[in-house]
Amino acid sequence: MTTLRPFTCDDLFKFNNVNFDPLTETYGLSFYTQYLAKWPEYFQLAESPSGHIMGYIMGKVEGHLDNWHGHVTALTVSPDYRRLGLAALLMSFLEDISEKKRAYFVDLFVRKSNQVAINMYTNLGYIIYRTILEYYSGDQDEDAYDMRKALSRDVNKKSVIPYTQPITMRELRRQMRHDH
Amino acid sequence: MAQQQGMDSALFERRLRPVYDNLEVGNNRKALQESEKLLRKHPTLLCARALKGLSLLRLGRYDESHGCLQTVAEEKPTDDSTLQVLSFCYREMEQLDKIVELYQHAVKQNPGNEELLAHLFISHVRVEDYKAQQAVALQLYKAQPKNAYYFWSVISVVFQGIRGPESALPEKRKIYLGLAQRMVDKHIKEGKLETEQEAFLYLHILKLQNKYQEAWEFLTGELCAKLYPGAPVSMKFELLKELGNWRELNELLQQLLDADRDRWDFYKEYIQSSFELLKLSPQTEENGEKDSLARCQEFLQGIIDSSERKKRGPYLARLELHQRMRADQLPAEKLIGDFDEMVIEYFRLFGDKSCCTHDIALFLPSISMKQRQALASKLLLESGVTSTSLPKNKEQLQKHLCALQISRMCGSHMELPVDHLLAFYTNLKLHYEHGRSTFGKKLLATEMGPSDAYALLAANVMYDLSRRENKSDHLFEALCLLQYVLRNSTSNFHVKLLSLKIYHLFGCQVGAQEMYEYLDIKQIQLDSMGYVHCQLLPLGGRFSGTRNVYDATLKFFTNSYKERLEYIALTYRFCTFSKMEEFMNFKERLTNSLQYVACSVEAQICDLVSCYGNIQQNLTAYAAMSIEPAEDRIAWHELSDNRDLEAVIRWDPLHEVNAAEERKESFDQEVEVLQVRSLMLRLFASFVDLYHGPSSKESPAGEEAATLELLRESWTGLFQRLRLMNYKPMAQKFLVNLLPTRLHLLLDLPYERFFDDLAQLVLDLQSGSGKLAEQCKRVGDNVITVMELCVQTINESNEWNGMDGLWKRRGQQQKVAASLEMLSLYAFLLSVLNDKLQVSSKAKTKKRPVDNKVDGPQPISEKERSQMLQELMRQLKHKLEACDAAIRTWKAPVLPRDLSSFMSDMSLKPEVEATLIGDVSATFKDSHELMVTELRNLLKDKIRMVAK
Repeated sequence: MTTLRPFTCDDLFKFNNVNFDPLTETYGLSFYTQYLAKWPEYFQLAESPSGHIMGYIMGKVEGHLDNWHGHVTALTVSPDYRRLGLAALLMSFLEDISEKKRAYFVDLFVRKSNQVAINMYTNLGYIIYRTILEYYSGDQDEDAYDMRKALSRDVNKKSVIPYTQPITMRELRRQMRHDH
Repeated sequence: MAQQQGMDSALFERRLRPVYDNLEVGNNRKALQESEKLLRKHPTLLCARALKGLSLLRLGRYDESHGCLQTVAEEKPTDDSTLQVLSFCYREMEQLDKIVELYQHAVKQNPGNEELLAHLFISHVRVEDYKAQQAVALQLYKAQPKNAYYFWSVISVVFQGIRGPESALPEKRKIYLGLAQRMVDKHIKEGKLETEQEAFLYLHILKLQNKYQEAWEFLTGELCAKLYPGAPVSMKFELLKELGNWRELNELLQQLLDADRDRWDFYKEYIQSSFELLKLSPQTEENGEKDSLARCQEFLQGIIDSSERKKRGPYLARLELHQRMRADQLPAEKLIGDFDEMVIEYFRLFGDKSCCTHDIALFLPSISMKQRQALASKLLLESGVTSTSLPKNKEQLQKHLCALQISRMCGSHMELPVDHLLAFYTNLKLHYEHGRSTFGKKLLATEMGPSDAYALLAANVMYDLSRRENKSDHLFEALCLLQYVLRNSTSNFHVKLLSLKIYHLFGCQVGAQEMYEYLDIKQIQLDSMGYVHCQLLPLGGRFSGTRNVYDATLKFFTNSYKERLEYIALTYRFCTFSKMEEFMNFKERLTNSLQYVACSVEAQICDLVSCYGNIQQNLTAYAAMSIEPAEDRIAWHELSDNRDLEAVIRWDPLHEVNAAEERKESFDQEVEVLQVRSLMLRLFASFVDLYHGPSSKESPAGEEAATLELLRESWTGLFQRLRLMNYKPMAQKFLVNLLPTRLHLLLDLPYERFFDDLAQLVLDLQSGSGKLAEQCKRVGDNVITVMELCVQTINESNEWNGMDGLWKRRGQQQKVAASLEMLSLYAFLLSVLNDKLQVSSKAKTKKRPVDNKVDGPQPISEKERSQMLQELMRQLKHKLEACDAAIRTWKAPVLPRDLSSFMSDMSLKPEVEATLIGDVSATFKDSHELMVTELRNLLKDKIRMVAK
C-alpha cells in the first residue's frame, strides 16, 4: 500500500530510515540536486500510509538515437517494507516514464555478488547484457552486470542482444562519451 | 587588452594552466607563485591577475586579495575566463552583487552577447532579483529566440507575483500572474510550446490564479497530452477537487484502482470523494440506488474478492472507510462489519510483514483505550505464540513481534508491576536468542536479524523499569543486550541508534562516539541526524575531544552553503520550473538550519575555552574567528528544524506520545540555548575587544564599551525572560524521547552572574573606577562558587558511585564541564587584560605629570589596577588547582555488578558473555579516563595561562 510521488528536496531530510541501510549510499547534495533538476520525473518516492518513506528510485534518460534509454541510478527499499513488491512498483514506474519518453530500453548496473537483486531484475524481465569489469571500486573491486530490458519502441529487441565479452571501465567510459 | 588576449588566447591558456592546476589541488602558495611569474612577463594579463587574487583569497590574505580583484574588476573585463575567476571569488566572499555589476559592464560592452547575458541572468538569480531577471531574459530572447529564454522571463514574472517584494499586494500578484499567463498564451497560439516543463509552468500559472477550469481543459487537451505525457495523475485529482467534480473524480479513481490495487494515494482520494458525494445526495437508497459509501464498500470488497494475490491496499482502505464513517457518526459496523474482526483479519493476512505494525497503528487512535488493549490481547492470541511456546517459523515470529509492538502501543506494558515487566524482559531476551539461533543463522552482513526487534523492545522495557526505579542497572543490562545483538547483526541501525542514546544518557561519550561512527552519518544526514550526537556533545564533559565531530558537521554545511545557489542556477539551466521554488525553499532550510548555527557557535566557544598558546597566539586565533560582538548574525526567526526525529523507531503508547509537541518544545528550547550561547560568545568577545579591539578601524572611542554595555543588558534581560518563560525540562518518559536540552543547566548554574560581573570588572578596570576593588571581590567570589560547584559535583559523583554510578552521571559531567568552561574563559580574559595593562602601565609610567586640577575621585592608577589583576590571576590559579585536585580524585563510574545472571538464559558461551560485558565496561572506563585526561590538560593550560 503505497503513495507514489515525486521525490522532493525536503525528503532528503527524512530519508534516514531508508539510507541507514548498508547497501544504500548517501551521496553529496550536488548529486541529488543534479538529478532533481535535470530529470525530476525520474526521481520518485514511495510513501507508506503512515507517512514513512518506504523507498525510492533515482534515474535518468539519456543517449543518442537508438541508444536513447532510461537508466536506473539507485533503487532502494527500507528494511521495514521489503517483500511487498515495492521495488517492482518503482521499476515499473520508471519503465512507464521511459515508455512515455519514447526510450528504446532501460538499463541498470548491479553488483555481480548481489544475487537477490539480480534475481529480482530477472523476474522483472531484465537480462544480463554484459559484464563490466571492476565497475565498483572499494577494498575489493567488483564487477558489475549491465542489465537491460527492451521497451516497446525497440520492436526488434536489438538493444537486448547480449555481449559475449566483458568490457572494461575504460571502454564503458569511451562509449558513454561517444553517446553524449 | 581584450585584443591582445584574443590574438593568442591559446598560448595564454597554456601559460595559465599551471595556476589553475595548482588551485585545483589546493596548492595555493604554488598557484600564487605561478601567477606572479606569469605577471612578470605579461603584467597586464587580466586573467592572471584575477587568479592571483584567487590564490591570495585561498591563502587567507584577504586585504591583498581584495585589492587585487578590485583593480581587475575596475578594468571591466569581458573575457570569459577572467569573468569566471572573478565571479568565483565573489561567490566565495558572498559578494553576489559584485558579480551582477561585473556582467553588467561586460554586457554593456558586448550588447547581445548570449553567453554574457546568460551569466548576467544567473547572477540575478543568485540575488533573487526577479525583475532584473525578467529584463535580461527578454534581452536574451531577442538575441537568441530560444524557448528557454522566453520561459526564463515568464518564470521571472511569476516569481515577482508570488515571491518578490510586491507579492504581498494582491492586485500586484494578479497583474504579474495575468501577464505571465498572457505571455504563455501567446506562445501557445504561435505553436511554440515545446517541452513538458513549459506545459507544467502553464498549468502552474493557471492554478495560481485559481483558473481551475482552464487548467483542466489544458491538462486534458491534445497539446498537453503530446508535450506532457508523464503529467502526474494527481494533478487531475487536484483540479477535479477544486472544481468540485466529485463524481468524475470518483469514477476516475475507480478506474485507476482497478488497474493499480495497492495505491494508498488513490484510495485516500477515492474515499474522500465518496464522502463528498454523500454530502451531495445524502438520501440513502433513493430510487433503489445505494449511497456512495455503500458503493465504496462494495467496490473495495470487489477488489478484495477478485484479487488473487492479497495486497494490503483494499484492506487498509476498508479500515480507513470504517474509521472515517465512525468519525462522522455513520453506521460503519452495519455497513462494513466489526472493526476488531477486520483488524484481526488484516493481521492474519499481513502480520508476517514488518510494516504491519505501522499499518494497524494508523487506526488505533480512533478506538478507546479499553478497546485498544482488548484488541492487542486478541492479536497476541492470534499470533499463536504463548508464554510457553515459541514461534515455529519466521512468519509466526514476525506476527508475534507485531502483536507485541501493538500491545506496547496500546499501553499494555505501562500498568504491569515491576516483576511482571522483568519477566517480560526475560521472555523477550529468550525470544531474541531463539529467533537468532533458529532463523537467523545464514544472515548476510547487510541484513537485520529476524528477531532483532525483540531486543529493541526489551531495551525500551528496561528503560521503563529504570525510570520507574530511578536506577541504571536495568538499562545498563539492556545496553549489554543491544551490544550483543550488534555483534550478531552488524548492520542493524536501530540497535546502533538506541545504544547511542543509552551511552549519552550515561554520559559515556566514547561509547556514543563509537556508535555514531558505526552509523556512518554523512552529508545531509549530518544535519538531519546530528541531534542524536553532535547536539548532545557540548558541555557533555569533553572539549577538545568533540571538536572533530563539529568539524565534520561544519564542513558539510560550509560546502553546501557555498554550493546552495548553484543548485538553483541548475534548475534554470535545465528549465525545471517544477522544482525552482522547492530548491529555493531548500536553500533557506539548509542555510538556516539550527544544527548549523548551533554547531558553529559551539565550535567557537570550544576553541576559546581550549586555546592553549601564548597570549599573542591566542589573540591571533581569536581574531581569525572574526566574531563581531556588535552584530547579531543569526536570523532567529528563520531558524529551521531539520531533525529527522522519526528515524528512531518506537512503539511507545500512542496516548502518551505527542511527537509534534515534543518536536516543538525541544526546538524552542534549543533556540533559547542558542540565544544564551551566542550571546555569551558575543559578550565575551566584547570584553576582549575592549582591550584588543580592531584599532585600525576609525571607530569612535567608546564604541566598544557601548557595545559591551548593550550586550550585557541583553544578557541579563535574556536570563530574566527565560526565567519568566518557565520552560519545563523535557519529559523523559520513554527511551526514545529526546534528552533534556541544556537550557536548565544554563539557568541553574551561575552563568548569568558570572559574566555579568565580569562585564563590570572589565569596564571598571578600563576606567579605573573607585569600585574596582569591590568588583574584584565579587568576581573572586563567583570564581569560588564555580570552583566549589565543580569540586562538590565530583564529590557527589564519587559518593553516588557507591549506589549507582550511571544514573546521574551525565548531569554531573555537565556541571563539571560548565564550571570549567566558565573558569577557562575567565582565564583567557585575565591573560588578555594582563597583557594590555602591563604594556600600558609601562608606557604611561613616565609621562604622568601631577596635574591635580580636576576635582572628584581620581581613577585608580594603572599600577594598582595591574596589581589587582595579578591578585585575581593568583586567586584563579589557586582555584583551578583545587578543581584539578578534585578531578584527580574523580572515580570512574562503578557499573552494575550483578550481571552474572544477565545472559544465563541465552545459549551463549561463557567466554562470549565475559568479553561482551568486559568490552562494554571498558568503554565506560576509557570514556571516563579520557575525559579526566582532557579536563586535566585543559586545567594545566589555564593554570599556565594565569601563572605569569
